[in-house]
Amino acid sequence: MNTGNPANRSPLLHGLLMLYVVLAYLFVFAPILASFVFSFNSDRFPSIPLGQFSTEWYRAVAADPLVWEGLRNTLLVGVVVALISTALGFGAAYTDYRYSFLGKQVYLALALLPPTIPVVIMGLAMLAFLSRVNLSGDALAVIIAHVVICAPFAMAVIRLRLSQMDPSLEQAAWNLGASEWAAMRHVIIPFCRPAILGALFVTMAVSFDEFAIAWFVSGLNETLPVKVLGFLQGQVSPRINAIGTFVFVTSMMLLILAQLLLGHGPASRKE
Amino acid sequence: MRRRISAYGLTFSLPLLIWQLLFFVFPLVFLIALSFWTVRNFRMQPDFDTVNWTTMYGRAIFWQAYGTTLALATAAAALTSVLAFPCAYAIAFKLPNGARRWAIMLMVIPFFTSYLVRIYSWQVFLSDAGIINVMLGWIGLGPYGLLNTMGATLLGYVTLALPLVVLLQLFSLIFLDRTLIEAAHNMRCGRLRTVFAVVIPSARVGLVIAALFAFILSFGDFVSPIYLGGGDPTTLSILITDTTKSGQQWPRAAVIALTMIVTLMVVAFLSVRFAYRGRK
Amino acid sequence: MTQAPLVSFEGVAKRFGSYIAVQKMDLKIWQGEFLAIMGSSGCGKTTTLRMLAGLEAPSEGVIRLAGKPINDLPSWARDTPMVWQSLALFPFLSVIENVEFALKMRGVGRAERRRRAEQWLDRMQIGEFADRDISQLSGGQRQRVALARSLVVEPQILLLDEPLSALDAALKVRMQSVLKTLQRETGITFVYVTHSQSEAFSMADRVVIMSRGKIEQIGTPQDIYRAPRTRFVADFLGASNIFSGKVARDPQGRTVIATDSGQFALPGNVGVSGQPASLTVLDTRMQIHDQPPGGARNSVAARMVGEEFVGATATIYFETEAGQELRVQKSHEDLAGLPLSIGQPFHLSWAMEDGHLVQE
Repeated sequence: MNTGNPANRSPLLHGLLMLYVVLAYLFVFAPILASFVFSFNSDRFPSIPLGQFSTEWYRAVAADPLVWEGLRNTLLVGVVVALISTALGFGAAYTDYRYSFLGKQVYLALALLPPTIPVVIMGLAMLAFLSRVNLSGDALAVIIAHVVICAPFAMAVIRLRLSQMDPSLEQAAWNLGASEWAAMRHVIIPFCRPAILGALFVTMAVSFDEFAIAWFVSGLNETLPVKVLGFLQGQVSPRINAIGTFVFVTSMMLLILAQLLLGHGPASRKE
Repeated sequence: MRRRISAYGLTFSLPLLIWQLLFFVFPLVFLIALSFWTVRNFRMQPDFDTVNWTTMYGRAIFWQAYGTTLALATAAAALTSVLAFPCAYAIAFKLPNGARRWAIMLMVIPFFTSYLVRIYSWQVFLSDAGIINVMLGWIGLGPYGLLNTMGATLLGYVTLALPLVVLLQLFSLIFLDRTLIEAAHNMRCGRLRTVFAVVIPSARVGLVIAALFAFILSFGDFVSPIYLGGGDPTTLSILITDTTKSGQQWPRAAVIALTMIVTLMVVAFLSVRFAYRGRK
Repeated sequence: MTQAPLVSFEGVAKRFGSYIAVQKMDLKIWQGEFLAIMGSSGCGKTTTLRMLAGLEAPSEGVIRLAGKPINDLPSWARDTPMVWQSLALFPFLSVIENVEFALKMRGVGRAERRRRAEQWLDRMQIGEFADRDISQLSGGQRQRVALARSLVVEPQILLLDEPLSALDAALKVRMQSVLKTLQRETGITFVYVTHSQSEAFSMADRVVIMSRGKIEQIGTPQDIYRAPRTRFVADFLGASNIFSGKVARDPQGRTVIATDSGQFALPGNVGVSGQPASLTVLDTRMQIHDQPPGGARNSVAARMVGEEFVGATATIYFETEAGQELRVQKSHEDLAGLPLSIGQPFHLSWAMEDGHLVQE
């Protein structure tokens, strides 16, 4: 309560609260930081005191052809999922922005609900359904399932951008002779461009880390996170830390890119 | 603006609708049908048999897992909410704007780190020769069996839910009308009493929704109870993965999944009703 | 005016669900005129404009542009460029790209559209800002970009939806003269929607006054000002004193209006006896006397209840015995010599021709 009067503040209470915030962030980041530190540590069973600095886990991971295959699958799935879910999310965001119709609530619920369904349930439902139509065990199965949970994120990001748009902008384009399609191409999409790019990166990052549904439906075409789940099930191995650090750095770069694109308003205004 | 949906409009509206009907709604509905199918010689057959329901509901392990999951998820929701609140409160009211933006950005990072890697990291902290026991050893304590306990499972749940709960609480607190707090002080309501008498009731909707999300996340998570809790006691999510992956008993797994969905729907309905009680 | 109108609304009505935004209306807009549509918010003026631009579809009736019905023509197939209240400039395009937009949509080549856009930017005196971002311009400069963007296709008609409402008072007056000059020089028909009486009356050749989806009066600013046709218009303009009563005949056979404050003669033989009606008299056309005036002028006794000074003019408020409030506007010289003080009894008079009968 930042009132102007210092008598309304208690330095002790303020200090304690700040200390608490620091502790909370420490709790959140402890496993992330530890994973980073131990990925460069030589010990087979990581603990303190730290052993030698070593890149052996990175080398072990790099030498594992299954990891490379997993990475390839992850990247393939991630890129395709990002493209499809951003396209679908854009369509839904534009629908919500422009139209009102009977059953819109249901439409929006369908568009936004999937991430709130527990992943085990989604995984089972997907597996049962996709194997019924002979799609399970394929990278395509992972793509289909990931789009279901990623499209809502894309929609949210793009809808937010559309809500910042002057509603007369699209009408102004029509008024100046642009057909609906031309207005879409020359006004709506340029206006949403930073959000569209942001949505691509966010959905890619979500797909990058998702392991549970992928584990259910992927069969032999494991993605990298499913591989990690395999390592976790097998012997405890610091290789997880190496992969985790690699995936973390990749996701962070995607996110920072998204942030830069979203943060800087009209990012590009060339033709 | 023209309200009529044209071919142009359908081009944008339909793809997501079709995708989610086909690959979200339909699979979930299919679970219902699946739960009545039968398995013979490791092959599933379309059928209308209640055997899966009676078998699962007749097993003590199912009800034990149900009780455990419900209790653990409730505890996780309560624990996470209580742990998150002072943090969200301090960020909302005590930090200057710039620092607050940074705090929010930092809290978003965990969403994009692998949950599996974080759980593995906690194993490193909690194991018998792990970081915590080594540190306790320095002052002559332990070692304690920290891993494979309910406490460790809860730790995993909090790891999973805390960032989201802090953010949701934070957003409900940021949009709180601050003059309410000043009015409370003005009427001789002390600091702590203001929090309980004014801040929490005003932000109730956000706080309840945040707790609901913590519940949903914990209720469905199978990673923490297996890799931190050691799989004992069993939770519903472990039961699903086991029944699906090793037993090939998908119809029975469907029974568990449907039971979970109904439970979640009831909890969500009750929470939302509680959140909006006496409001319009 | 014998030629065909550029735009005609024939029995056009617009409903949103059960809400009637525009009641069945007929309106002709002539080639080359500056027409203002005026009314308070929710009167249907903007809906009328948007129907003309094709952004709303009429519920019934026909809108014609240059004789051809345009009801079924989508927005982008009509040449009815509009200037928005928010201006609706494209923030992701530069100034010149904004102006080129309409030409690009019409398939005009790159060099040609650049040339024509530059020409219009120069004409609007913003040529030097061609490559700027919209966000780098002032309010007045944005206004000019919006005008250039709409006029670059050299249309027959330009629609303006309260384009000046976001500007400060001084800039508003300057832009009014820019608009008026532009309209006169180009000969393009302007249809200007506003809630501001001063904007409408200072720029328009003809003014349409709307209320609750209905046209109350159409006429030149002078006609409407001097002789409001309905009680609503008189109230809306706020420049007239209004007496309510019934039409009657006096012993000499002249038409009069009988009100609580007395009987007043009307010019000519208007109205039907016994009909309720109102009489309006401009507050500038009333005279103040300290003695009852003789002659043929209408007069009424009233007590002074207040005064107000704005610049060179003074407004004096009166009340008659019957409780009717009246207002007189005069210059300070006109008032010299009158014993003005609150509570003082006076006589107010006006020439018979200055009274106008309006429908209730």
